[in-house]
Amino acid sequence: MLETLLNEIPRFFTYYNIVFLLKALFATFLLSALGCIIGSVLGFLIAVGRNTTSRILMPLRAALIIYTEMFRRIPFLVTLMLAFFVFQALNWDLPMFSVALVTVCVIGTAFIAEIVRSGFESVHDNQWDAAYAMNFSYLQTLRYVVVPQAWKVILPPVFSFFILFIKDTALASQIGVLELTYAGKVMNNKGFSATLVFGTILVLYFSLSYPLAKFGQRLEKKLAPARNR
Amino acid sequence: MQLDFSAIWGHFPYLLGGAWISLQVAFLAFAGGMLLGLIFASLQAFGNRVARRCVNGYIGFFMNTPQLVQIYFIFFALPEIGVLMTPYEAVLLGMTLNAGAYLAEIQRAGFESVQVTEMEAAETMGFSRIQSIRYVIVPHIIKVLFPPLSNQYIIMTLGTSMAAIFGLEELTGRAFNINSETFRSVEIFTVTAGVYIAITFLATLSLALIGRYGFRAKMRLF
Repeated sequence: MLETLLNEIPRFFTYYNIVFLLKALFATFLLSALGCIIGSVLGFLIAVGRNTTSRILMPLRAALIIYTEMFRRIPFLVTLMLAFFVFQALNWDLPMFSVALVTVCVIGTAFIAEIVRSGFESVHDNQWDAAYAMNFSYLQTLRYVVVPQAWKVILPPVFSFFILFIKDTALASQIGVLELTYAGKVMNNKGFSATLVFGTILVLYFSLSYPLAKFGQRLEKKLAPARNR
Repeated sequence: MQLDFSAIWGHFPYLLGGAWISLQVAFLAFAGGMLLGLIFASLQAFGNRVARRCVNGYIGFFMNTPQLVQIYFIFFALPEIGVLMTPYEAVLLGMTLNAGAYLAEIQRAGFESVQVTEMEAAETMGFSRIQSIRYVIVPHIIKVLFPPLSNQYIIMTLGTSMAAIFGLEELTGRAFNINSETFRSVEIFTVTAGVYIAITFLATLSLALIGRYGFRAKMRLF
């Protein structure tokens, strides 16, 4: 067992295989990073919409609540298949990467909306009332009072969500997006031993996720004491 | 695009049977993960340096690699050294090991929230050691731990969907089966998503009720 593994190693770590794997690693990173950036923008808008109080916007709020509650309760794989088949049924000829990106954005929006909303809630009621007393409009309150305080609460969980997504996008291999897990499957199908291939894939995921996680912890520690109520 | 749900309803009981298997896998993995997490959290609190290092390494590794690839490794790589597993066993083992890492972190944070002064206060009130653990420490720990644990349970219920990739016929697996039989793809996955929403919502609801009225934990539905 060990001997065959040792024999395979020089055949496995050739220049082209390494480039192939690193490209796949970059695709994984790109997928989760883009998903998180787009998800942050849309999630922020949803949180702003959910926080409105006027009666006319009631249907909008209901729709936003349904959206966030729904997509936080559907597994990644099912949302992915749904997106895949919906685009197929609509006859849109999108590359697989875009289908996966749409899925990541849809789910990321729902989760980040929730994070941003709890960030808004971390700002004390008195501050909202004070801004109202100063005749600030809703958007002005957000712009000048809430967001400058809330971003410190929002940023760390959004960052850990981004790291979570690096791992979740492994499921995108199921529809044939060329990311790290799919690259592993390709290598395994080429006849390399599964121990070697998936061991390498695990190490690559670890080397991407671990430094980011450490950075996230430091970010959290750095921002946390500045938080005031 | 035309939607036709009529072809699906005949398969609905079959799909619900899959939901039952999903819940089963999630529950077993959660129970195993709790036990594993408890052992790891105690090792981190009371173990020597070597034990702490090992546990930290384990948790770091399992939290920073995808669950899917971990199960891939168990399912495809372990047979090379002669450990053959059915999909059910491989998925359950993978999910348990993964959950062990996450639940160890949650339980450790819960244990750290207890302070020595609480024990001292209980002693001042004339509680015996066992009484102070029973009436002061345990209620506190449960109150702190319950919300993140129930959250993790919901995440794990959703995580069982990746068992379908290994051919386990749980909710998503059965959805794939019905899909290849009827080819009403959009409809079947919409219904499956609905079932997932329903079972996780029921789980959140019951856990929130238990937490709020049983352990006075701060929990909310929305």
